[in-house]
Amino acid sequence: MRRSTVLPILAALLVAIGLGLWRRAGQPTPSAGDGTPVSGGRLIATFRTEPRTFNRFASPQAAEDLVARLTQATLVRLNRVTGEIEPWLATEWSASPDGRAYTLKLRQGVTFSDGAPFSAADVQFTFRALFDKQVNSALASSLLVAGEPLGVRVLDETTIVITLAAPYGPGLALLDAIPILPRHKLEAAYLAGTFRDAWGLGTPAADIVGLGPFVLREYVPGQELLFARNPRYWRRDERGLPLPRLDEIEVQIVPEQDGELLRLENGTADLTTSQVRPEDLATLRRLESAGRLQIANVGVGLNPDGLWFNLAPGAPVAKDKPWLQRDELRRAISYAVDRQALADTVFLGAAKPIYGPVTPGNREWFVADLPKTEYDPARAKALLATLGLSDRDGDGLLEDASGRPARFSILTQKGHTILERSAEVLREQLRRVGLTVDIAPLEHVAMLEKFNKGEYEAMYFYIGADSFDPARNPDFWMSSGDFHLWQPAQKTPGRPWEASIDDLMRRESTTLDRTEQKRLFGEIQKIFAEHLPVVYFVAPDVIIAMSERVHGATPSILQPPVLWNAETLWITASRR
Amino acid sequence: MDHRITPVTAGLAAFLVRRLLTALVFVLIVSSSALVLARLAPGDAATGSSLQTSQTQLDATRARLHLDRPVAWQLADWFGGLARLDLGRSSLYDQPVTGLLRERAPRTAALASVALAIAAAVALPLGMVTGAKPRGLVARLVTPISLALVSCPPLIGALALLWLALSTHWLPATTGSLAVPALALALPLAATMERLQSQAIADALAAPDLLAAAARGIPPTRLVWVHAMRQSLRPVLGIFGIVIGSVFSGSLAVEWVTSWPGLGRLMYDAVINRDVFLVTGCAFVGAALIALGNLIADLARAVVDPRVQEGL
Amino acid sequence: MSPVRARVTPLACLVVLAIVAPALAPERPTEQFADRTYAPPMRVHVRDASGWRAPFAYPQVLEDRVMRRYGEDRTRPMPISWFTNGRAASIPADGGPLLLLGADSLGRDILSRLLVGMGRSLGVALAGALGGLVLGALVGGWAGSRGGRVDHALMLVADFILVLPGAYVVLVLRGTLPLTLSPAAVFALLAGLFAVSSWPHVARGVRAIVATERARDYAEAARASGAGSARLMWHLLPAAGGFLLVEVVLLVPALLVAEATVSFLGLGFPEATPSWGTMLQEAHNVTMMAEAPWMLAPALAILLVVFALQATSGARAQNLVAAISSRS
Repeated sequence: MRRSTVLPILAALLVAIGLGLWRRAGQPTPSAGDGTPVSGGRLIATFRTEPRTFNRFASPQAAEDLVARLTQATLVRLNRVTGEIEPWLATEWSASPDGRAYTLKLRQGVTFSDGAPFSAADVQFTFRALFDKQVNSALASSLLVAGEPLGVRVLDETTIVITLAAPYGPGLALLDAIPILPRHKLEAAYLAGTFRDAWGLGTPAADIVGLGPFVLREYVPGQELLFARNPRYWRRDERGLPLPRLDEIEVQIVPEQDGELLRLENGTADLTTSQVRPEDLATLRRLESAGRLQIANVGVGLNPDGLWFNLAPGAPVAKDKPWLQRDELRRAISYAVDRQALADTVFLGAAKPIYGPVTPGNREWFVADLPKTEYDPARAKALLATLGLSDRDGDGLLEDASGRPARFSILTQKGHTILERSAEVLREQLRRVGLTVDIAPLEHVAMLEKFNKGEYEAMYFYIGADSFDPARNPDFWMSSGDFHLWQPAQKTPGRPWEASIDDLMRRESTTLDRTEQKRLFGEIQKIFAEHLPVVYFVAPDVIIAMSERVHGATPSILQPPVLWNAETLWITASRR
Repeated sequence: MDHRITPVTAGLAAFLVRRLLTALVFVLIVSSSALVLARLAPGDAATGSSLQTSQTQLDATRARLHLDRPVAWQLADWFGGLARLDLGRSSLYDQPVTGLLRERAPRTAALASVALAIAAAVALPLGMVTGAKPRGLVARLVTPISLALVSCPPLIGALALLWLALSTHWLPATTGSLAVPALALALPLAATMERLQSQAIADALAAPDLLAAAARGIPPTRLVWVHAMRQSLRPVLGIFGIVIGSVFSGSLAVEWVTSWPGLGRLMYDAVINRDVFLVTGCAFVGAALIALGNLIADLARAVVDPRVQEGL
Repeated sequence: MSPVRARVTPLACLVVLAIVAPALAPERPTEQFADRTYAPPMRVHVRDASGWRAPFAYPQVLEDRVMRRYGEDRTRPMPISWFTNGRAASIPADGGPLLLLGADSLGRDILSRLLVGMGRSLGVALAGALGGLVLGALVGGWAGSRGGRVDHALMLVADFILVLPGAYVVLVLRGTLPLTLSPAAVFALLAGLFAVSSWPHVARGVRAIVATERARDYAEAARASGAGSARLMWHLLPAAGGFLLVEVVLLVPALLVAEATVSFLGLGFPEATPSWGTMLQEAHNVTMMAEAPWMLAPALAILLVVFALQATSGARAQNLVAAISSRS
């Protein structure tokens, strides 16, 4: 070959190789199509609200909880997928025979993100600050056992004893909610009496020290929180490689769900923390078939909708409508509503009909063979007839004995589209059995005010549960509780069945034997199904969407669905 | 020349002082009313979490926010703070109100300025053309569109533009982009300005002194672009002050629809969450802006036309 | 046709349409068709394989609920019957509902809701605007003809109302009123609220015009001959007539939108009674806008009302200047 042709061909080859290398270099993280986790990269997540402080003890809101889950660690962790308690900062534990004391052994060789060693003194400080009366932590009020705070005793450098005022069913699961704070950073504020104001939003990020997988690197008010890997994180994965896998997590603050969705669609965010709405499924499924998104139906959630009536005996609203507070009315309503139609219309099928407060999503505690009031309008009409309600003038609607229409109002929240739509469907369904219902949507605070003052006839709302174990929710079950929706804060139980539930609940939460706990709670659910103080209709599925780059996710039906276990996430390929 | 200026400036100064005082009283009355109304509305800042927090916690929060004190006390407290330039603490964000306002106000200001700039840049030249040649092609196209857009509410404009952005991708539709909200605000503004400018040019061209100038032989383009424009500036300037106020109130709806993080959005969140001090702070800023706009407009008119000074 | 008649006619047509529209609705506006959520508008055909026919439509079939896919059942063309069964347009019952503008998130016919809501929304906006005009004309006329302190004080009151955060007034009202209000009560309440919030704009403009008129010769003459302030105002007000007509153009669309905002704060028509305001709230969903644009029908309807009103007023820029200067 002549020299003059070799050179150009060589040059062309070199250029081609150079181009190929250059293109490969444009993708900093190699794609791992075989499912092996890789290290590195930045995940972008969106969140709906901003934190008001970085001090988890000062505020019980969701944003503060997210920050705490990413930057802090707890003594034990509740695995939200299996429901089991896992050793975390504590490696092993044992309970005393009477269930009032737990001895925990702390992990060795753990340091905070700034290098200071972790010890029992930090645990003791955390508990002291949490339950301090002056600090008045909102978080603490949900962690009392028999009305008393938890106590902590240091046996030695690596062993502590946690004491409870009474045996407590959920046991150590309580500790999943308590992040262990650094004594060396916060003790000064605590002693000065300013602990509540410590770690406010103006705190330099370097001062927010913790034992969690990430550290806060930057906070831009109103826009985003940037978290970076904690190089001193003590956990390793099953191959012994250090966690977390991600280099950075960027949490963008997007107040509107539409905004979150848009970012997910055009690839500027990888993950949203809000659940997917039924009407958005179509758009997202299209993107899923194009390979850009993953959609996971995590299963039935814990948050059913509930309709309850104001059962307070002196309620003025019930004076001329005595039938409003009767059990039979609620049973009739439960028979009258076609739950599947509600699930299809409002949730496009992504919801399950339910008949009680515990949903199938709560696998541990759900009892499947309880009596159900399945769709039976004839039976509903018969029940209404026993209340003296019948169609006296032939217009298809019921009237009471004095000829007044069988009419009542349902208070609900304005702006909560799913709730409003469901309420509309309910109204239509109840009209078919002759009941006239007025839906009164009020905006959030006004609605709560009416509820607190007892100025309503019936209310329709989403009753959220933030944990699986019902004993963590005593204020709902106990007649003295503040969230005993149909008649809160009773001095003594007003009805015999409420007294039964109170008694069963007390026994349930002080029993340590899980089988016995479940048996007692099954009894409670039976009583509930019989008297139906709250009528439940559907429990929506929890559906989450992430970009195709995200791997290693362990989605849960509790919030935050993916970021609760952020350390195992990894991402592939560079951003589009 | 000098002895003519002194009485004019003296009258102007007195006028300015009178108007400033009125504006101040006005702003204070509006802010106080906002605070009183905020307290009167059902529920308060603590109610919002009442389905998740115990009664004792709620009481503690109320005590901390001074919501258990009478309205008069809180009003006095706010005024006291105002004297120190402290507008209180927001219950929703747990930050000083002044900080929040300082952070959000520039965003609304940015939105408003861009909207005004777009509107002026498009409308004023267009108005001059349609005013000078009312039967020309441009006028026939632009005038009906302009007339329609004058009363197009910004909310409807924002919805329409969002739809356009989403279905055609000619405009960005994400939360951070200025395009949709600024255009939604600019459209009715531009239409108004175009109509005003058009009429003002037409009137100016018909005025006797311009006819005289034409008779003197000044070329027609020069007539329009220099002489008539100078005359038309007065009515257009006249509304510029008020436009600030209208943009501010229009921005509330637009910010809500497009999630633009400005004052409007802040006010809405404050109202929904019963954040008394934040609502009062926003009302304060709003009233101040409107009063400022009116003041500038009145001042401009007073400088040009001294007769205005004695009326107010 | 005289110029005044020509200008008033579109407005009159609107009013007539608002009264007649509810009778034209093909379906019941509150009826929820479970298998028609977000259904697209049905197409009306006039031709098929055999040539021209009377207008007919194919029944819609739900193919995929989640993906919102609807198809047409081409084997069963349904002729459209006019003015039978008490409905303006309908197809046989086994063909499902006649959805000429599609359905909303609960499967309710949008066209029917639009027509029935028209009377309500337009009625409230017109009533509010009228109230605002009357009140504003009186206050502005009084201020303009008296001048001086009275004038200044009245205009301050006007400014005050303009700047007050209306949202709070609405919330306080909602808190003090009973939980359920009849549609008639809501109508009266909204009309009153709108009248009170619109009179300041009107008053400022009327005042400016009346004040200018006061300086004219005939007004001076009237005052010289001993006419009191009220009598004077009566003489001067007609000069503001053109302006008032223009104000209608500006007010009604703004009030139509205000109905939506106010109902979002809880003081609107109950969901069961459709109105453009409640329909607009649903349309706000950004994703649905691109996928189901027929939900934006109320926005388009408001735009059409705007056009109609513009044609009415003629919008002479001089009146427009006065109108705009009074806006704040």
